[in-house]
Amino acid sequence: MSIAKKLKDLIRSGYHRMGEVEIQADVYGYAYLLCHHEDEYLSGEGGLGGLELHEGPDKARDLSTYAPDGTYRFNKAQVNLQRGWALGLQDEEELRQALDLFYPACLGLFLASREGRLDVQNLREKLERQTGMYRFAKSISDAGAQKLVRDTCGPDNACAKRILWRIDAATPLEDSPASSYSGIPDGLTETEAIPLLCREACNHFVAECRKAARAEFEVKNEVG
Amino acid sequence: MLFAPKPHSALLIVGHGSTENPDSSTPYFEHAAEIRRRGLFAEVHCCFWKEEPSMREAPYMIDAPEVYVVPDFISEGYFTQEVIPRELQLSGPTTELRGKTYHYTLPVGVHPSMTGLILRRAKEVAPEVDPAKTTLIITGHGTGLNQNSTKAIKDQVALIAASGAGYAAVTDAYMEEPPFIADWDKMAGTENVIVVPFFIADGLHSYQDIPVLLGMEEEVGAAASQREVFRHNPHHLRGKKLFYTSAIGTEPLLADVILDQVADFDKILKSL
Repeated sequence: MSIAKKLKDLIRSGYHRMGEVEIQADVYGYAYLLCHHEDEYLSGEGGLGGLELHEGPDKARDLSTYAPDGTYRFNKAQVNLQRGWALGLQDEEELRQALDLFYPACLGLFLASREGRLDVQNLREKLERQTGMYRFAKSISDAGAQKLVRDTCGPDNACAKRILWRIDAATPLEDSPASSYSGIPDGLTETEAIPLLCREACNHFVAECRKAARAEFEVKNEVG
Repeated sequence: MLFAPKPHSALLIVGHGSTENPDSSTPYFEHAAEIRRRGLFAEVHCCFWKEEPSMREAPYMIDAPEVYVVPDFISEGYFTQEVIPRELQLSGPTTELRGKTYHYTLPVGVHPSMTGLILRRAKEVAPEVDPAKTTLIITGHGTGLNQNSTKAIKDQVALIAASGAGYAAVTDAYMEEPPFIADWDKMAGTENVIVVPFFIADGLHSYQDIPVLLGMEEEVGAAASQREVFRHNPHHLRGKKLFYTSAIGTEPLLADVILDQVADFDKILKSL
């Protein structure tokens, strides 16, 4: 069964949320209508409550590129999606494309996880395969990596995903709001919201590891 | 070239992306949308080095059993020869992996059809000028770390010089290795100079760094999409008329070059 058909089944079974995006089916002549979840009450009013209506999946990229303060959302799982829009889509293939622009690959990762075929990679494996300027990232200490998870991951920082990886097979992430976040916002359950999953540290995290590793090296040399 | 549809295959366009400038990935999404619109593949996706989805995440978006991976990069080098194969776990031109067949094409920038795109760009930006009184400069990043990074540009210079396009001179120039683009006026014996940035996107380099090196701007400006006023050609600088185009990768016809690379893969590599 295709990813789009599986998505259709998910929506029919009661899933209506992904990250900050609310998904409504069969409204206003659209197979699917998306909006910011805090705008859902407006979408039920006449004239969509003043929400600006867009059509087609490609608009999802424009709607998710900048935060309300104008900063670039290079990481799409930040909790700062702009409000004030609605996006009308014709079918589940368009819905799939739009969701892949709002939350890249997260639908496929969730389906793979449900089907037991999601390949999770721990941080040490990810750092070991880095080359070029990022090859120095691997020298970060476990303590430094744990601190980075606390300081850069999680919905309070730049990413509202559920972290599936560990430092290495024997070293789980220390408990923190970042490491324990479910990937599902607002107390919804996993039968209502498609969780945002992190199967390996992103390249932003690797870049931060590189900076932290360099700082650790400099401190060690000063002490030495 | 007429492209035979591949209704059972996916196209995966790989780009660099940026954590600082969204313009960097815009052309990739535009190329993907154009090819999707033509209905030539079952699915069309993008993935990136610095943005989401990552190359390791991308396969989870794909249904099709056969995937054409096209590096939307300007040259062969570190990314196309090392990073992309490693991240997508490709072991050669064709790789069987987790039930899918991946075909890895050459990057768009090395395809011979790029020559036509450069000439078209040059004509668009300066339709009135006489090529015989004009120097065409193709500019790229350049780095001492990888000789391949300049090869695609040097090849294009040779192709255009031999094409009969009629330019008084065609030359290459770089940001970080000689001949330096900052010396553009010294390498041009003509009054008119057209500079085409050989980059995929109007990102940091083509819209922010090179205009400073050319002398068009005194300091690095905002990202292209954040500007209220785009540049106007020609720029009267250093006693010459300078015409500066947007990056070659923003040309809509680059979607055709992506298809050309897929077609060439089938023609040349699939039969091996």
